[in-house]
Amino acid sequence: MPDAEATSGRAARLPSERGEPAEITVDGRPVGCFAGETVATAMLAAGVPAFSHRNGEPRIPLCNMGTCFECGVTVDGVPLTRACLTTVRDGMRVETSER
Amino acid sequence: MSAAHDLVVVGAGPAGAAAALAAADAGLDVLVVDEQRAAGGQILRTTPPEFGGRRKLPTGYPWAGELLDRARSHPGIAWRHGATVFGILPVTADASSAGGADASAGPGSADGADASAGPASAGFDVLTSDPADPAGSGRVRARRVLIASGAYDMPVAIPGWTLPGVMMAGAVQGFLKSQRLRVADRVVLAGSHPLLLIVADQLLAAGARIEEVAIARGIPSPVELLRALPAVPGHVRLLGELAGCVLRLLRAGVRISTGTVPTEVLGDGRVQGVRLARADRGWRQTGPARTVEADALVLGYGFHPSTELARQLGCALDWDSAQGGWIVRHDAQLETTVPGVHVAGEPSGVAGAEQSRAEGELAGLTIAAALGRPVPERALAGARRRIRSASRFSGVVQRMFAPRREALLELATPATEICRCETVTRSTIDGFLDENPFAGTADAVKLACRSGMGPCQGRYCESAVAGLVAKARGTGVGEAGRFAAHIPVKPVPLQAYVALADDPAEVP
Amino acid sequence: MSERYDSIVVGGGLLGAALAWMLAREGARVALLERDQLNQHASGQNAGSLHFQLEYRMVEHGWESARTAAEAMPLHLEAAREWAALGDELGESLGVAQQGGFMLAETAEQVEVLRRKTALEQEWGLDVRLLDGDEARRLAPYLSDSVLAAAFCPLEGKADTRIAGPALARGALRLGAEVRTRTEVVDLVPAGSGWAVHAVERSEAGERRLRLEADTVMLAAGVWTTRLGQLLDVSLPTIPLALMMSVSAPTAPFVPHLVQHAGTKLSLKQTGNGTVLIGGGWPARLPLAADGTPDLDSRPTLLQSSLVGNAAAAIGVVPRTASLPIVRSWVGTTTVTPDQLPLVGQVPGRPGVFVATGGSAFTLGPSFARSLIALADGRPPGIDLHPYDPARFERLSHARR
Ligand SMILES: Cc1cc2nc3c(=O)[nH]c(=O)nc-3n(C[C@H](O)[C@H](O)[C@H](O)COP(=O)(O)OP(=O)(O)OC[C@H]3O[C@@H](n4cnc5c(N)ncnc54)[C@H](O)[C@@H]3O)c2cc1C
Ligand SMILES: Cc1cc2nc3c(=O)[nH]c(=O)nc-3n(C[C@H](O)[C@H](O)[C@H](O)COP(=O)(O)OP(=O)(O)OC[C@H]3O[C@@H](n4cnc5c(N)ncnc54)[C@H](O)[C@@H]3O)c2cc1C
Ligand code: FES
Repeated sequence: MPDAEATSGRAARLPSERGEPAEITVDGRPVGCFAGETVATAMLAAGVPAFSHRNGEPRIPLCNMGTCFECGVTVDGVPLTRACLTTVRDGMRVETSER
Repeated sequence: MSAAHDLVVVGAGPAGAAAALAAADAGLDVLVVDEQRAAGGQILRTTPPEFGGRRKLPTGYPWAGELLDRARSHPGIAWRHGATVFGILPVTADASSAGGADASAGPGSADGADASAGPASAGFDVLTSDPADPAGSGRVRARRVLIASGAYDMPVAIPGWTLPGVMMAGAVQGFLKSQRLRVADRVVLAGSHPLLLIVADQLLAAGARIEEVAIARGIPSPVELLRALPAVPGHVRLLGELAGCVLRLLRAGVRISTGTVPTEVLGDGRVQGVRLARADRGWRQTGPARTVEADALVLGYGFHPSTELARQLGCALDWDSAQGGWIVRHDAQLETTVPGVHVAGEPSGVAGAEQSRAEGELAGLTIAAALGRPVPERALAGARRRIRSASRFSGVVQRMFAPRREALLELATPATEICRCETVTRSTIDGFLDENPFAGTADAVKLACRSGMGPCQGRYCESAVAGLVAKARGTGVGEAGRFAAHIPVKPVPLQAYVALADDPAEVP
Repeated sequence: MSERYDSIVVGGGLLGAALAWMLAREGARVALLERDQLNQHASGQNAGSLHFQLEYRMVEHGWESARTAAEAMPLHLEAAREWAALGDELGESLGVAQQGGFMLAETAEQVEVLRRKTALEQEWGLDVRLLDGDEARRLAPYLSDSVLAAAFCPLEGKADTRIAGPALARGALRLGAEVRTRTEVVDLVPAGSGWAVHAVERSEAGERRLRLEADTVMLAAGVWTTRLGQLLDVSLPTIPLALMMSVSAPTAPFVPHLVQHAGTKLSLKQTGNGTVLIGGGWPARLPLAADGTPDLDSRPTLLQSSLVGNAAAAIGVVPRTASLPIVRSWVGTTTVTPDQLPLVGQVPGRPGVFVATGGSAFTLGPSFARSLIALADGRPPGIDLHPYDPARFERLSHARR
C-alpha cells in the first residue's frame, strides 16, 4: 500500500510522477506545488482550510468538476475563478474570497 | 470571429468525443469545446501531461483509448480545452444588423418586436470564456450544436453538508484519477449509486481508512437480481469490477452497512464525524443515529444531467426521477425541440458511459446526414443497436438504484442549508411557502428566497427546492417545475461580454 | 353561481399587488387573479430603479419628445413620496433605498443634454442639480475619469423587485383579500351594475372555469393590457419592449447610488445583497407569432450586440465592474405607449373598468394604484390625470377605422 505524503486528516499527494516544482501564493503566503496540478489540488494539499467563506462559514471544493463554484477564488485579480479547473502557474496569485 | 463550423460539440466526454469522430468521419468540420484540460469527460479523466508517465484509463471501457486517440488526431476536429461555453444564441437572418429590436421605440416607431421568429436556420453563436487565455473567449458560429455536457453528482442536503470535507463521489474520484490526490485520511462514504463502492475501493488502494460505507438501499432481492440478469451479457466486465470492489473492501475489514443513511455531519470548521442511522426500505430513518469519526464524508446518490445549456436555449425538458431528474426531450435522431440543437450522453437521461458513447455516435451520424453528408444506413443501424444494448443495462441500473428523493429530502432539518451559495435554509423556504399560499413553483421560491440565484445557478438546490414545493402543495415534483437557466450558464466576468464583439472597434 | 367582490384585480405584478393591498386597506372585498405565479413578469424581472430624472430613451429622440415625456413628472414626484412611506405603511421591508441617482455625461454633447434636461426637470419641481466630473467623483469615487458631468437627484434610488410585489400581496392577504394564481381572465362582460369576470384556473388535475362578479375591475396586466382591451372591444395600444438585465455575484458594497447615462442605455446599482444590477434598456429579440404580432408568451432571445453594448457601457463609467462575475442575464418584457406617456384611467366607454400601464411602471406602480382607486371611488386624484387618459388613443383609433 503506497504511503501518502502527509497524514492527520488533511489531503495528501499520493506517490506519483509529477511535474516540475512550482510556487503560487495563497493570500500572500507561498504554497509549493507541481506543474500540472490544479489550484484546488495545491490548496488542499497545503491544508488551506477555506477557499471562501459564505456568511462566515468556510468552504472547500465540493464537485471538482466545475459545476458547484464552491472552489471559487480570485486568481491574478479575476474573482470567482474555479480552482478545480485552473492549472497552477509559477508565480500565480490566489486569494481566497469572502462572500 | 472565425468562419462557421458545421458542428460545435459542447463536452469532450464519451458522448462528445464519439459524436465528433462520427461527424468528422462523415466529412463535417467539427469543433469540440470542454472546460476540462483534456478530452475524456468525467469517466476518462487522466493525469495531466506534466506528470509524465503512461495514460491510465479505467478498465471496463475497452473502446476508450482508441476513441480518444482517433478523435484527437482527426484532421476534421478542432479542440478548445479550458474554455467554458457560457451560452448559445440562435442566429437569425438579420442578426448581423446590430441592435435588432428597437428598445427605444421613440414616437412614431410602430413596434419593438423584430421580424425574425421561426427556426434558427442560420445557426448558432456559441459563447465561450477562458480566463487563462483571452483568445479562447468570444463566439464561434455553428450550423448545428450538440450538447454533450454530461452529468454531475446528485446533491443531497443533510445537516452540516457545507462543512469542508463533505465531497461528492465524483470529486474524490477526480482528485485520485487526475491529480493523484487523496482528499482525506479517514473517510465515510454514504450513498446508493454503485460508483460509491468503486470510489471506496480506490480510496482504500490510495491508503485511506474507510471508516464505513453506508448504502441507503438494502441488499437486492432475488427477484431484482433475476430481473437484472438479461441485461448483463456484454456488461459482465463492469459487474465483475463492482464485485471485485466489494470483495477487496470486505477483505480489508471495511464495514459496509446497507439500509443506512447519514443524518448529520459533525465538526467545527471541518468534518470531524458523521451520524449514521438505520433506514427502512423507503430510505426513511428508523433507528437512532450513531457517530462515526471521520475527516471526510463522500456522497454518491447518483447523477443529475447537466442541462443548463439546453434550458438556456429553450429546449423542452421532462421530469424523470430515475433517469436523473430533468432530462432533455429529444427525438429518435437525438434532436431536441429546438431545431438544430442535438443532445447526447447524460443530458438525454443518465445512462452511463457505454450508452453515452453510443448516443454520441448516433448524434454525430444523424447531424452529418442532416447537413447533406452521405451516411451509410449500416452505420446508423449499428449505432442504434449499441444504444439498445447499452440501455438494457442502464435501465436495470436506473431501476435498482433510483434515488428515493422524498426520503432524502427529509434528511434536511429546518436549519439545513438547502441553497449553499446563498445560504438559504429549509426553514426559510418552508416559511415562505407557508406565508405565501399563492406561490407554487420552484421559480417563485427562487425569486423570493434567493435559493438558486448564486454562482452554482441552482444546480445544487433545485431538486430540494422543487421537492419542498411539491411537498407543501401536494403536487408532483414535475409540476413544481424547475429553475429557468440564463446566460451565462456558468458565471463569467463582465468583460467576457465585451469579448463577444466582432471586432474591438465595434464596442461602443 | 358566482362569487361577488367589490373589486377584481387582473394581474399579479407590482401594480396588481399594490392595488389589491390599497383596496383591501380601504375595506373593499378584493380578489386578485394572476394567470401565472405572482411577480414572475416585468415586476420581478426589472431593474428596480426608482428613477425620477428623464431616462436616456426619453432624451435620445430630441427635445420635442423629451418635453412630452416630462409631462409624467407629477406622477414621478408622487411616486418618490409613495415609495419613501410604503414599507412603513405595509409593515414589511420593500428593500427601498433612496440614496440618490446620477445621470452621467462623457462627451460635451451629453453635457449639453444634461444641462437642458436638468433645467426642464427643475421647472417641473424635481430636486436635481448638475455636477462637474470631479464633484461627481467626490460623491462617487467608483466613477471613471471619463465622466465629465453628472445630473444628481437625491431622491432617486432602488427597491427590491424580488420582494416588493409579493410583500404587497401578502399585505392584501392579511387584510382578507383573495389571491389566486394560475388563474387566467378570459372574458369580461357587463353584469348588472358591475362586471362578470370569466377565468380559467389551471392545475395538475386540469382546468376549472370560474365566474366572478365585481363592481369594479382593475386591469394590471402590464404587457398584456392590449389583449385585455380586446376582450372589452376597446383599443388600449401598448408597445412591448423586450429588455435585458444582468446581475453579478455579491461583492462588497461600493455603489450606493443609482447610475444612469445621458448618452447610452445604462442603469447600474448595487442591491442590499451586494449584487450589482446592470441594465438600461438594451433590447432582446421578441419572437413573432404566426400573424406577425409579437408573441408575448414565448421567451425572447438575448442579442449579442446588447451583451457587448451593455457591458461596455457599464465598464466605461464604472471600471471596477469589468472583473465582476456575472451570474445571470435575463430578459423581461415591458410596456411603453406610442406617446411615451402612461395609460392611467377608466377604460373608455367601459365604466367600472380601470387600467394603468406604460413606462417606468415599477417606479410609478404605487402612484398608479393610488390614482385608479381614487378614480374608482369618484374622488379627485392627487394629480391631474388628463395627459394619461386612455381615451386619447380611443379617439385616434376611431379616426383610423
Ligand atoms: C466521477 C464519475 C465517475 C463515473 N463513473 C462511471 C462509471 O464507472 N461507469 C459509468 O458508466 N458511468 C460513470 N459515470 C457517469 C458518467 O457521467 C458517464 O458515464 C460518462 O462520463 C458520460 O459521458 P458524457 O460524455 O455524457 O459526459 P461527461 O463524461 O460528463 O463529459 C461532459 C463534459 O462536458 C464538459 N462540459 C459540461 N458543460 C460544459 C460547458 N458549459 N462548457 C464547456 N464544457 C462543458 C465537462 O467538462 C465534461 O468534460 C461517472 C461519472 C462521474 C462524474
Ligand atoms: C428589464 C426591465 C427593466 C425595467 N427597469 C425598470 C426600472 O428600473 N424602473 C421602473 O420603474 N420600471 C422598470 N421597468 C418597467 C417595469 O418593470 C414595469 O413597467 C412594471 O413592472 C409593470 O408592472 P405591472 O404590474 O403593471 O405588470 P407585470 O409585472 O407585467 O404584471 C402583469 C401580470 O398580469 C398577468 N396577466 C396578464 N394577463 C392576464 C390575464 N388575462 N389574467 C390574469 N393575469 C394576467 C401577467 O401574468 C403578469 O403577472 C423595467 C422593465 C423591464 C422588462
Ligand atoms: S469544486 Fe465545484 S466548481 Fe470547483
